[in-house]
Amino acid sequence: MSDARNALMREGGPAAPLLAVAGIEKSFPGVRALSGVSFEVAPGEVHALLGENGAGKSTLIKIISGVYRPDAGTIHLDGRPLRLDSPDDARRAGIATIYQELLLFRDLTVAENVFMGHAPRGRGGRLDWKAMAAKTEALLATLEIVDLAPSRVVGSLSVGNRQRVEILRALSQDAQLLIMDEPTAALTEYDVTRLFDIVRRLKSRGVGIIYISHRMDEIFQLADRVTVLRDGAQVGTRRVAETSSAELVQMMVGRQIESLFPKVAVAVGAPVLEVRDLVRRPMTRRISLTVRAGEILGLAGLVGSGRSELARTIFGVTPAESGEILVSGEPVQIRAPSRARALGIAYVPEDRATQGLVRPMNVRENFSLASLARVARFGFIDSAAETRLAETGVARFRVRAGSLDQVVGRLSGGNQQKIVLGKWLANQPKLLILDEPTRGIDVGAKAEIHRLMCELAAQGLAILMISSELPEVLGMSDRVLVMREGRLVAEFSRAEATPEAVGAAMMGSQGADAGRAA
Amino acid sequence: MAVLAPEVRSAAPRWLIRHETLLVAILLVALVILGLFNERFLTVDNLLNQGRLMTEVGLLALPMTFIIITGGIDLSVGSIVGLCAIMLGYSWKNLGFPLPLAIAFAIGVGGVAGFVNGLLITRVRVPPLIMTIATLALYRGLAEGISQARSVRNYPEWFFYTGQGEWLGVPVQLWILLVGIIVAGIALDRTTFGRTLYAIGNNETAARFSGLPVDRVKLVVYTLSGLAAGLSAWVLVSRVTTTRSDMGSGYELDVIAAVVLGGTSIFGGVGTIWGTVVGLVMIQLLKNGLALTGVKGDATIIVIGAVLIASTLIASSLHGRREVAG
Repeated sequence: MSDARNALMREGGPAAPLLAVAGIEKSFPGVRALSGVSFEVAPGEVHALLGENGAGKSTLIKIISGVYRPDAGTIHLDGRPLRLDSPDDARRAGIATIYQELLLFRDLTVAENVFMGHAPRGRGGRLDWKAMAAKTEALLATLEIVDLAPSRVVGSLSVGNRQRVEILRALSQDAQLLIMDEPTAALTEYDVTRLFDIVRRLKSRGVGIIYISHRMDEIFQLADRVTVLRDGAQVGTRRVAETSSAELVQMMVGRQIESLFPKVAVAVGAPVLEVRDLVRRPMTRRISLTVRAGEILGLAGLVGSGRSELARTIFGVTPAESGEILVSGEPVQIRAPSRARALGIAYVPEDRATQGLVRPMNVRENFSLASLARVARFGFIDSAAETRLAETGVARFRVRAGSLDQVVGRLSGGNQQKIVLGKWLANQPKLLILDEPTRGIDVGAKAEIHRLMCELAAQGLAILMISSELPEVLGMSDRVLVMREGRLVAEFSRAEATPEAVGAAMMGSQGADAGRAA
Repeated sequence: MAVLAPEVRSAAPRWLIRHETLLVAILLVALVILGLFNERFLTVDNLLNQGRLMTEVGLLALPMTFIIITGGIDLSVGSIVGLCAIMLGYSWKNLGFPLPLAIAFAIGVGGVAGFVNGLLITRVRVPPLIMTIATLALYRGLAEGISQARSVRNYPEWFFYTGQGEWLGVPVQLWILLVGIIVAGIALDRTTFGRTLYAIGNNETAARFSGLPVDRVKLVVYTLSGLAAGLSAWVLVSRVTTTRSDMGSGYELDVIAAVVLGGTSIFGGVGTIWGTVVGLVMIQLLKNGLALTGVKGDATIIVIGAVLIASTLIASSLHGRREVAG
């Protein structure tokens, strides 16, 4: 371990690390998840972990937070060797982890969640509610959070506020080391800013932070050092000030990413989908739009602006109350997703885990789920045809899976997303609705999905893309529509769509007039 | 970010196979032991007779397997059997239907009863447990009201063929059950319908978002359950020669016990017809073997309860090990 440590010291690591991880190895049956990973986190340092999905980041943090035992290697906290047999050991040692899926009790209050398991006790072991509320207030004050009352029920909070509750929970246990697994994946721009503020505050208090994110700009804004993993091995550790995003991407993927958004101009054809005065209260209010063959129409807006609701109304999950939908010029009624599918509409939903995939089922079964009729004769599934369908999809989308019989819940996010996309394209749709198509997936998979979108548009598919990532919307769309509070508020051509103009329309601030009102 | 573990194949079917194999093994051991204790147990006559007794519950267990795979439950099946039996007798005796028509009518009533369950479950989104507890009471009440506590007897001789006759040396109703098992097994294993059931049970939202006809399929399985109850009522009346309004009461528990013992997860998404058949045979032969060996009725129930718990424990420990291995 001393070798690894010296190596890091030469790279400029601080003399007294808070956390020192050395030579971590971990294998699962048939797969080597981590081999010889070593890195350190200094007090007050934000240390980013970077790597594609499946690179071993999650395994690594699960080892540091006591969920998995490493096969080999050591962990030192404050110079003392740690033996972590359970997440509880890690917690007691001062290591707190904030996972992507926040683990809170929805029906309990902020204070109850913060002190779950270590509530202040009064006489006779009874809960001291007053102390609990006061301590929560104090914690809120240290982070200068003023808009969160300890008595609020967590279920009523926004994602950003729930995350703050998780952070408070970690602080209430005097965590010295905070692990954050893609904390911004589900946050709005505003919440991201506030999160960064809190992270900087914690930093100044000497808390060490391990920060996992796919977003390069966050790493450059927040992190001091970054360790890159690829296929379970450590590619290297860099000081953020001394590296570039191009270098990091290359370290991650082991190859050059061509261009970030490979959008090519495509001749736009006839309207595939026309929506007129579509209403589904409360979030879809008199929406009119047209998507043409070969066109990628971007739908921008803040989280909660009604974009997904619109998509689900077009797709028949929540059928429209009034208004018209025309597919290829024909007026249609869409009262259920099965009808939308029959009309050639495909919807890749925002939540892969609950809406996109049947995770306990395998790759083959998920691939054929939206096109069962194509692989069946008289209702009988032709398993050879089904296997062919899945094999074609796996090859076309470069899905990395051990076999077609692998349960999809065990695949990485990027591979899962490719399967959702693949299962819909197997049905040969005319219109593809993509809802956050690249959320929470790694750079490599993201580029592949973007490349695919261009290919599909070139083949004449009409694409309606919802994305909360402004660069993605601007980079991929032929035209951009902006939604706010259930209404379309602006429309921009590709040339007009600057980050400032679209951003302003999303926020509803001045400058929204820059786009023609839709 | 899941760790890729290529060698972990679809674990559910493998676990199922194990569960079913285990059940068959337990069944064989139990057969041998009970056979040693009693020479009348392992005879062709006795076993065929047990098959005869098993059919009424067996017919219900097939659609129940479908329903439980979707994550639902149908507690009203026993009451539908009672209602259908009464409708058979009532329409023949009181309404003057010809007996074949009365039989068809009774099965139709079962279908409607199941359809009503399905309709409220899919359209009004009443949870299946609540809905079918309600109709458990409702259908039984209807049966009692219509029958006025009077039983119907004196069916013509040919009517008893279904419940008491033999074809090729095998009880007639056992042939019906056999056909049902094969049809249900193939439907579950090989068709888009079966695939849809598994998809619903594993993730109903995703099934819906994939454009699968979730509500229609649910409606179909509850209707099938009602139709099967009608069929079961016909076989039952034919076997016992009279119609009473308390027929089929308590069947729901035997049916669910057989399905769950056969490895179908009560949470949905997992299960096979073959498992249900093994569960069914196991319960019937345990009951019979214990009775022949001189174990009293109460003790038999205790043994069956214990077997059910043991099999669930073994299944969940297998299941648990799989989770950890991931």
